[in-house]
Amino acid sequence: MGMAKGEVIIDYQICMGCGICINACPFSCLDLTRYGNDAYKRLFPELEPDHGCTGCGICSKACPLECMTAIKKDKDEKKDAVSS
Amino acid sequence: MKGYMGKILFVNLTTGDIEERLIPDHIYEMLLSGVGLGAYVLYNEIPAGADPLGPENVLGIVSGLLTGTGSFMTGRWMVVCKSPLTGGWGDANCGGTLAPAIKQCGYDGIFFTGISEKPVYLLVNNKGPQLKDASHVWGKDATESEEILISENTAKKKPAAAVIGTAGEKVSLIAGICNDGGRLAARSGVGAVMGSKRLKGIVLVGSKPIKCHDPQAVKLISQAYANKIRKLNLPGIVKGSLLPVGGKVMGSMKHVAPIDGMMFATLMKKWGTPLSNGMAVTNGDTPIKNWAGSSKDYNRSYYSRINSDLVIKREYRKYHCYSCIVGCGGVCDISDIGQGRFTHTHKPEYETCAVFGPLLMNRNLESIFYINELLNRGGMDSISAGSAIAFAMECYEKGLLTLEDTGGLDLNWGNAEAVIKLVEMMIAREGLGDLLADGVKIAAQKLGSGSDKYAIHAGGQEPGMHDSRFDPMMGVHYSVDPTPGRHTIGAAQYYNMTRLWEKVSWAPPVKIYPKNEEYEATDREALKSVAGSCYKQIVDGIGGCLFAQIMGVQHWQAFEWLNAATGWNKTPDEYMLIGKRMQTLRQLFNVKHGVEPKSFKMHPRMAGEPPLKEGPLKGRQVPIEAMMKLHWKHFGWDENTGAPLPETIQQLELDQLLQEG
Repeated sequence: MGMAKGEVIIDYQICMGCGICINACPFSCLDLTRYGNDAYKRLFPELEPDHGCTGCGICSKACPLECMTAIKKDKDEKKDAVSS
Repeated sequence: MKGYMGKILFVNLTTGDIEERLIPDHIYEMLLSGVGLGAYVLYNEIPAGADPLGPENVLGIVSGLLTGTGSFMTGRWMVVCKSPLTGGWGDANCGGTLAPAIKQCGYDGIFFTGISEKPVYLLVNNKGPQLKDASHVWGKDATESEEILISENTAKKKPAAAVIGTAGEKVSLIAGICNDGGRLAARSGVGAVMGSKRLKGIVLVGSKPIKCHDPQAVKLISQAYANKIRKLNLPGIVKGSLLPVGGKVMGSMKHVAPIDGMMFATLMKKWGTPLSNGMAVTNGDTPIKNWAGSSKDYNRSYYSRINSDLVIKREYRKYHCYSCIVGCGGVCDISDIGQGRFTHTHKPEYETCAVFGPLLMNRNLESIFYINELLNRGGMDSISAGSAIAFAMECYEKGLLTLEDTGGLDLNWGNAEAVIKLVEMMIAREGLGDLLADGVKIAAQKLGSGSDKYAIHAGGQEPGMHDSRFDPMMGVHYSVDPTPGRHTIGAAQYYNMTRLWEKVSWAPPVKIYPKNEEYEATDREALKSVAGSCYKQIVDGIGGCLFAQIMGVQHWQAFEWLNAATGWNKTPDEYMLIGKRMQTLRQLFNVKHGVEPKSFKMHPRMAGEPPLKEGPLKGRQVPIEAMMKLHWKHFGWDENTGAPLPETIQQLELDQLLQEG
């Protein structure tokens, strides 16, 4: 996750893969790349490997199903992420 | 702002001038956004008699009023222009990811006039709109061009783009505009207009918020809808081979009962539109052998080879358009076809399977996958392209085209290899392909010798793959819509599933009724076709999906979403009046440009003249002229000419609106 300042937690029991969050993100951090939680070969959103999420919450605000939680990482967490 | 951005961008490609124009609130309240806004701009901007391929034509790329508000299945973008195929109003629409990007750049639509001296594309990003040189992508196919332009312009946010392929560059009148790697806004020749302006594409990067009146109310409606869709999963034992059996039963039934649209959504979730590949052959919905054959010709030994399950066997992932929760799209592996020229293609839609399958008596599914990718990259409408080849095959059968004319291609029915070659020739405008690249009407005019008998079209546009002898109301819309030949406007099947009567006071309610009623020109059937037509305008004003529409107003709650997003608090009847206004304005556009609505009457073969001698549609005839008259009458248009009556124009307040423009 590199130096990302934030992250997003998605509840895949609720998400239906509509892509509204992906379009809303100003930094293109999300993409439809995750399989699962569906009877068909449908894709769901997740953070890209080298995302630059800031935890701004624009995606979670846009989500009609309210299944996303944006988190701003504190400084210690970012240090851990870098060292790991 | 309430769902809309209140602004459009206007680009003059001759001078390079770019200006923002404010659109007053009352325009949205009278015409919504999308096609309604497009009709308002084009009616005022394009002078009567303008050449569709000349500098005076205006090409608009617009989004919907509900796009980006948190509503579902409202992410379609639409293209509007004067059509070079029909000479009148032209539009086309497509899903994908472009629609919200238009609004995030701050606009409800982007309009182009003039002709650029050299190939250009429009880039809109945080520096504002600018025209950029496109000579490095001119000549490249749509998918490659889109990848290059996106890659060149990616900074923080990945852009959305729409481009033309080589068919549009060569001004093929059946060219479309592509996005998301080969998905097309295909109809009306919109790609030819873009090509004539030397506009290769648009690239949009924006992050402006799309505001609406009551976002929480919008979300609550969306959540209720999602809870219904989430449960729709077919058990694995339901196979695609059962669908044609269902079609056969449906085709033999003497009565019609409205089904819940959610049943359709369940099938769409599994197969996408190819769910109809066999079913629509056995019930009579798919036209066969250039509209002259039946399921006796394209029998089980044929349709079993294009079975829905065989289509999704190649599908390795499904995808959704922006804001869609059904996800009927898919990506298919085709690396083993055509010496591995292409690795993958979008799952071919039913329309493509039908037009390159039954219409040509072709049962080679691999060829359909391959042709699908050729057309997606070339940027050519599959319905029109396949119909043009069906015309050529019948001319070849009747001796009006010889081996010399075809350049040695043996155009016997079902010759998949020849069809592939001919598609390539059409995209490149080579040999016989050049003749066919402008659609069947022009091809027949050039070929002469009575070949117009085999040129199946309505008003110059090739019809969708839904037989009007199976659903006569489809034929009415083929013949009366300001952009004729379109299968996405209305039909009895759509009406029955949309269930407008549950919310619109004047829409005739439907229970079980004899199928024969659909074949009679009655006031009741006309009212149904008028209601369907008005509602479809609303759908095209909000960026809605036809497949969401036919799930029914009780599930996909467009009226309620509109009120939540705009705060207008209108009744469904009031919204239907807006739909009527939009449709009347599109018709007025045609009248202004000298198009006679009567001339859009579909080809006699589509009305059962002569009647088919076998199959589920045996003997079926459609009194199309009487039906057109009644439809016009109930629209408040002259029942003899199809021109909107002065009192209707006044009632709809279009006289005042057009004076303002």
